[in-house]
Amino acid sequence: MALLDIKNVTKEYRKGDKSVAALNGVDLAIEKGEFLSIVGPSGSGKSTLLNIVGCLDTPTSGSVLYNGRELGGLTERQLSDYRRDNIAFIFQSYNLIPVLTVQENVELPLVIERKYSKSDMARKAVAVIESVGLGTMADRLPRELSGGQEQRVAIARALVKDPLVVLADEPTANLDSATAEDVISIMQRMNTDRATTFVFSTHDLRMERHAKRIVTLRDGAIEKDERRQ
Amino acid sequence: MGMILKIALRNIGRHKRRTVLSAITIAAGLMAFICMDSLLTGVDRMSIDNLINLSAGALKVQTAAYEKEKDSFPLTFALDSALAPLAASLAKQKGVRHVTPRTQFLGQLSNYEETVPVVGTVIDPAADTLVFGLKPCLSGAYFGPDNIREIIIGKQLAQDLGVGVGDNITLYALTKYDSRNADVFKIAGLLSTADPGINHSGVFMTYAAANDFLDLENSVTELDVAIAKDNSLPHFSRTVQGIQKNLQRDFPSLRVNTFLDLGAGVMELTRAKRASGFIIMGIILIIAVVGIFNTVFMSVYERIREIGVLRAHGMRPRDISTMFVLEGVITGLLGSALGVATGSLLNMQLVTAGIPMEKIGGSIATASYGVAGTVYGQWNIPAMTVVFLLGISVATLAGIIPARRASKIQVTEALRFT
Repeated sequence: MALLDIKNVTKEYRKGDKSVAALNGVDLAIEKGEFLSIVGPSGSGKSTLLNIVGCLDTPTSGSVLYNGRELGGLTERQLSDYRRDNIAFIFQSYNLIPVLTVQENVELPLVIERKYSKSDMARKAVAVIESVGLGTMADRLPRELSGGQEQRVAIARALVKDPLVVLADEPTANLDSATAEDVISIMQRMNTDRATTFVFSTHDLRMERHAKRIVTLRDGAIEKDERRQ
Repeated sequence: MGMILKIALRNIGRHKRRTVLSAITIAAGLMAFICMDSLLTGVDRMSIDNLINLSAGALKVQTAAYEKEKDSFPLTFALDSALAPLAASLAKQKGVRHVTPRTQFLGQLSNYEETVPVVGTVIDPAADTLVFGLKPCLSGAYFGPDNIREIIIGKQLAQDLGVGVGDNITLYALTKYDSRNADVFKIAGLLSTADPGINHSGVFMTYAAANDFLDLENSVTELDVAIAKDNSLPHFSRTVQGIQKNLQRDFPSLRVNTFLDLGAGVMELTRAKRASGFIIMGIILIIAVVGIFNTVFMSVYERIREIGVLRAHGMRPRDISTMFVLEGVITGLLGSALGVATGSLLNMQLVTAGIPMEKIGGSIATASYGVAGTVYGQWNIPAMTVVFLLGISVATLAGIIPARRASKIQVTEALRFT
């Protein structure tokens, strides 16, 4: 059984009187531990697919199954709980909370989970901050960091709760080459070491190069689905 | 909750200027209310004290027949035989300090060119000073005990007639036996009080003088009672009402009125002033609500992406809402604390130094409020507590609408927001 099973998903948006199809009958099964890149031109439906997989958005038709459980029809609260317990996000523009320090930003998903003691949260956060190479910057605020450092914090924030799936929307788009390589290698390491499933949309060829599976979208439909060794 | 509070607190700190402005709006409202309430309470207390000190006493005992005819100030319905048992009963009442007789009459004062109607009051000079506070308002001389040729009149009355201390003036009145009498009196002193009635038409003379002029034969139409001072008006009122009840029970043929009964007009004015105070407070609070609403709404608008991130990580809508409500609560707490602190500091000055009435409206204010001289503020801790809690509650309520809106923003829209 696939970890995530997307079955015949369509997504339509209203644009005035017109209906625009962002996804058009997408079928995709994602196994545990995949390092999957979704590629395609702008407007092909990459972000929409990630949003639906992450339960940030709901499909117009079709279904999304997580570990065999249908996610359609969940209440707002159940969707929040699903995201909290299973999914982590990395955003193109980092989206750190500006008033929280690096460590507090990383602790945030654990605080939302409400499963850990204060000391356990601190311990886990420090460990993951060190693993992304920012051990000396735990007390800094996001405005004191470079773009690359901010994205590493975002990765640490995504990984701190040991999620089964990390969804990343263009994670290297705002980074220079060297920093992008760093970020990719961290994600790869986490994928290898923790068997964390990574699904990321990208235009970045460097990221594509490291992907174990590349799904190409065009006009809201899967054009190509290739696996690499 | 800890992280939510932390984010709320830091966001408040992040927009210091906006937070300070909102807090100042609330603080200014609370400060204004505390000072206004203090002054109004002070004015109320002063007008009640004046009522007690100048005309009503704490208690006034008259015959029931006199009370019915009181507008004509008859000399015939005197206390006479009731006077001795009444004085004995009053001496036993707890809280009674002093008692003095008074007898009022109607007359006319003339300088031969002009004649003015007056209300005369016959007093026992020594006992009267123990119950009423005329002496501090007097310029000129007070009466000796056997004075029969001198009167004291209101300052405004003297000005109307163009006379002063030491001048002679003719007083006309009906005697106890309804015969018309006129006599010339020397003006011993002039009264300038907070009671416009005394200033414009008051004439005072001793019983010795009235026995001669009005054939009064020491008839006393009212007995005025001074009760021990008490800073708490409600407590003082209860004491006075207790004595009233006892006297009324023991002397059913007499009419016992407290300053509360006699000063119904002043009490009505007090209630009206209170109502206007609350209307002003309401307006100030509406301004504060708009301020807080704007602050929290701006905060929501600026942090839509942040809301999206928190929601994406699984934060529930209710927690998002709580975070913004907390910002309103904290701003309200800051503003209310600042308002009570600055209000208390200013009020300390009002309570100790006071404000001269002339500075807040001169003779108009004096006439309207029935007070003169310096008005002192009064501490009103229950009112301060209420406005402090009200400030926080209003800020909380003002934060709820934008907070609810924040919790309902679609995650994908929030994340796309720029």
